[in-house]
Amino acid sequence: MSAEVAAEIPKGNGWEPNILAFCCNWCSYAGADLAGVSRFQYPPTVRILRVMCSSRVEPAFILKALKDGADGVLVAGCHIGDCHYIDGNKNAEIRINNTKKALAKLGLDGRLRLEWISASEGLRFSEVIRDFTEEIKKLGENPVKEVKK
Amino acid sequence: MLNSKAQSCYQCGKCTSICPMRRVSKTSPRNSIYNSNIYGLETKDIWTCLTCGLCPQECPQQVDFLSFIKQEREGKTPLDIAHLGVFTELAELSSRLNGNTKMEKTDSKYGFFPGCVDSLSLFLHDVKTDFGEITTSSLKLLDKIGIKPRMVQMKCCGHDMLWQGKKDVFDRLKNDNTKYLKESGIDTLITSCAECYRTLSKDYDLGIKVVHISELMDKLGLKINSEVTYHDPCRLGRHMGVYDAPRRALTANGAKLKEMEHSKENALCCGVSSFMNCNEQTKALRIARMDEAAATGAKTLITTCSKCLAHFNCLKNEKDTAKKYDLDVVDLTVFLARQLEAGK
Repeated sequence: MSAEVAAEIPKGNGWEPNILAFCCNWCSYAGADLAGVSRFQYPPTVRILRVMCSSRVEPAFILKALKDGADGVLVAGCHIGDCHYIDGNKNAEIRINNTKKALAKLGLDGRLRLEWISASEGLRFSEVIRDFTEEIKKLGENPVKEVKK
Repeated sequence: MLNSKAQSCYQCGKCTSICPMRRVSKTSPRNSIYNSNIYGLETKDIWTCLTCGLCPQECPQQVDFLSFIKQEREGKTPLDIAHLGVFTELAELSSRLNGNTKMEKTDSKYGFFPGCVDSLSLFLHDVKTDFGEITTSSLKLLDKIGIKPRMVQMKCCGHDMLWQGKKDVFDRLKNDNTKYLKESGIDTLITSCAECYRTLSKDYDLGIKVVHISELMDKLGLKINSEVTYHDPCRLGRHMGVYDAPRRALTANGAKLKEMEHSKENALCCGVSSFMNCNEQTKALRIARMDEAAATGAKTLITTCSKCLAHFNCLKNEKDTAKKYDLDVVDLTVFLARQLEAGK
């Protein structure tokens, strides 16, 4: 997570989840846009990062986000078959599933989610964010310990 | 600096003449010591070093180049980490979590540590190698010789972190693992990975016996009837001095061992260590080693390090290579377990 994104995170006593969402440029980012212009409400717990394709999201990015204190990571892409790059999202699915297995071994299961959200599914985007926020609230804060630099 | 005896270097250049990286790049161990001793400068060469351990064998002044590199790298940013640093991130993340402290409730005095085969098979799925088979095979073979070990579920041993200069992460992992092993009451730790073996026996102070699985495999009583060749991983060979145990494990079970041109102390490196510097230059080293293996005429290349296995298989399965290798690259335990299954 960059310093800019980290600076935006509210620091107060009432803990709110802090979710990083990787949205693909062609479907999910447009879906988030639609949620915005249609004024569908969703909790302000999510920071959206635009990537060109969901398969651009390397497992290393997800691990780094969790290491730096994100409570949850959402990867959103086009529905299977709709990928702008033909089969990028199939690769993403393999990668994310493998990363989920690695996270389960570390005791961080449930903190990574893969969703397919198309450009016309603004409502679905807001529902996914709401649902994921509830889930992260149940799981609680990220157990990663701070270390002195 | 003082532990590595680098100050006694008199710049003869024997290290540079033997350096495998020197064959393919401008890397110079002599120069990196010179720059560090005289000017206190950090050179690129400390990151391109493979830490293969060839040069300390040649040094007339007995400079410990490996500790020199380890000290020079400490706290600095690595030049290039392969696979976008996914294994580094995973180790850093696990070093900052409480981790899995479950322990099998048996009174076996033996522990078995599979190393990072799990994460290798998760994140290197395009190498087309079943890394998990190393663990299942090891357990099968141990069962055959009558050892029923407990599965040790500790964190990553931290080998890569140590050699990538992330000493703070390594120290955290080391503390957690040492505590875990002390509480478990194991007195012999068996590992199937050459890197874990090196790290746990040389960089940890565990006070328990650490054994590489190849040291136990000579009494299997198999009747293998094929020609094989053996690649010495740097961590097991030059770092730890274990040359004969894996060879005995093969010949005592009937396999015909054909040595490569460079073997034992002079074995060539697979080209990548601690997931650093996977590039065209180190690929040339890998090709050189595969050529030597193919020249022996054996159809199976056996190694004891999961990283060597990954790198050779990666080269073998590359789509647009000029050469196709008709070699099976397998881990020692996998090879023996397959023979055990076939003999039943």
